Amino acid sequence: MPEGVVAVITAFPYLVQGSLVTVAVVLGAMVSGLVLGVLLAVGQVYGQLWVRLLVRVYVWFFRGVPLLVLLFLFYFGLFSVLDINLSAFTVAIIVLGLISAAYQSQIFRGAILSLPDGQFKAARALGMSDLKAISFVILPQALRFSIPGWSNEYSIVLKDSAVVFALGVAEIMARTHFVATRTYQYLPLYLAAGFLYLVLTFVGVKALRMLEDKVRIPGYSRPGVG
Amino acid sequence: MADECILKVENIKKAFGKRQVLKGVSLSIRKGELKVLMGPSGAGKSTLLQCINFLVTPDEGEVWLEGSHINRARKHDLYAYRQQVGMIFQDFNLFDHLSALDNIEIGLARVKGLDKKAARERAMVELERVGLSDHAHHYPAQLSGGQKQRVSIARALAMDPKVMLLDEPTSALDPELIGEVLAVIRNLVANGMTMIMATHQIGFSRALADEIIFMEDGQVVEQGPPVKMFSDAVCERTRAFCAKISELYGEAF
Repeated sequence: MPEGVVAVITAFPYLVQGSLVTVAVVLGAMVSGLVLGVLLAVGQVYGQLWVRLLVRVYVWFFRGVPLLVLLFLFYFGLFSVLDINLSAFTVAIIVLGLISAAYQSQIFRGAILSLPDGQFKAARALGMSDLKAISFVILPQALRFSIPGWSNEYSIVLKDSAVVFALGVAEIMARTHFVATRTYQYLPLYLAAGFLYLVLTFVGVKALRMLEDKVRIPGYSRPGVG
Repeated sequence: MADECILKVENIKKAFGKRQVLKGVSLSIRKGELKVLMGPSGAGKSTLLQCINFLVTPDEGEVWLEGSHINRARKHDLYAYRQQVGMIFQDFNLFDHLSALDNIEIGLARVKGLDKKAARERAMVELERVGLSDHAHHYPAQLSGGQKQRVSIARALAMDPKVMLLDEPTSALDPELIGEVLAVIRNLVANGMTMIMATHQIGFSRALADEIIFMEDGQVVEQGPPVKMFSDAVCERTRAFCAKISELYGEAF
């Protein structure tokens, strides 16, 4: 058997373990980005002027600074200045989550703005507070319409997560790099890494498409094709 | 107490930018009355209705419900007041992600705080009242315009409103669907619901309204019982308008 194949077969369980770390980082980032992103979006659409400004500055900052810079800024800079001792894994989730929140907030904001004005009006006319109207009428619809954009964001965060190997998080990229520098089988190993990312993208996007169909509003949104 | 004043609105003013949409409108309505707002588009009817329950915040003006002044700056009072004022929109505004039944239930459960079972039962009663109990699990996109409007009336009724505001409830409907919605509203009148309704349904207004309020350019131009308004309106503008819409809708009177 060619050396490359042997190297890949030998390293594969080790790389698959790395993909579990990748999945954990991505899920952590996506979920924290979801929670923060929804808050940011609601703040930007319904908030007072200072809230809207604050959100805009936040989005501007986290969309504008490169991921690697932010990772170093938080891991080696901010958290050490503040004397907060967090693992590289945790920092990776926090930073990816903060960045994703900025992008996700714009997905949700677009979805909220696409809803007819009458939905919010009708909810308030029933006597709902703004908070109730947003929670029970606006977000259930806006989040549904956000799934396609969210699926896109998932595939981007998944690939961005490779950069956190710079902090030494033992995810797919870090492990591949580790094995490759020892076996010199760069090509087959990085192909294997690429394959793992493709599988994760496929599974995640597929799952989100299934979710989209599951929560589809009857008669309203079209069923997904494929 | 048939002459008890339910709702009083005084001197409502509203400007959008430089355009003064309402120039100081006052009206009051007694229990069981139906008042019909008429007037050309842009007269301010819709804005007035939305100012009455503060969906649009008036620049000036005060509102009393059953004699108590509504302090709109206090959120709690405002929300409590809106619960008692049913609103029907021209384009229905059903919550698109909820079935007909859930559309009615949501106010009962989330605003009135009824438990799931009680809310469901009450919602079913209201659906039945508008003749749609067999469509309980249909979503808005699966209903006709007339059915949507009937669900939205049921949604408002479920809150036990003291007064209802109807903003051209039939003007977005196909002609053959108008009848079923008017039938439901006629039923409300028969049951003594207090209502302020913007509409151009002359036959309906003539038969059922206690008073016609003719608005133009952000003001009440003329008001009075339908007989007087349709046969010998004092203001020429009112006469011309009534003549035009009756010609349009082919309703002789």
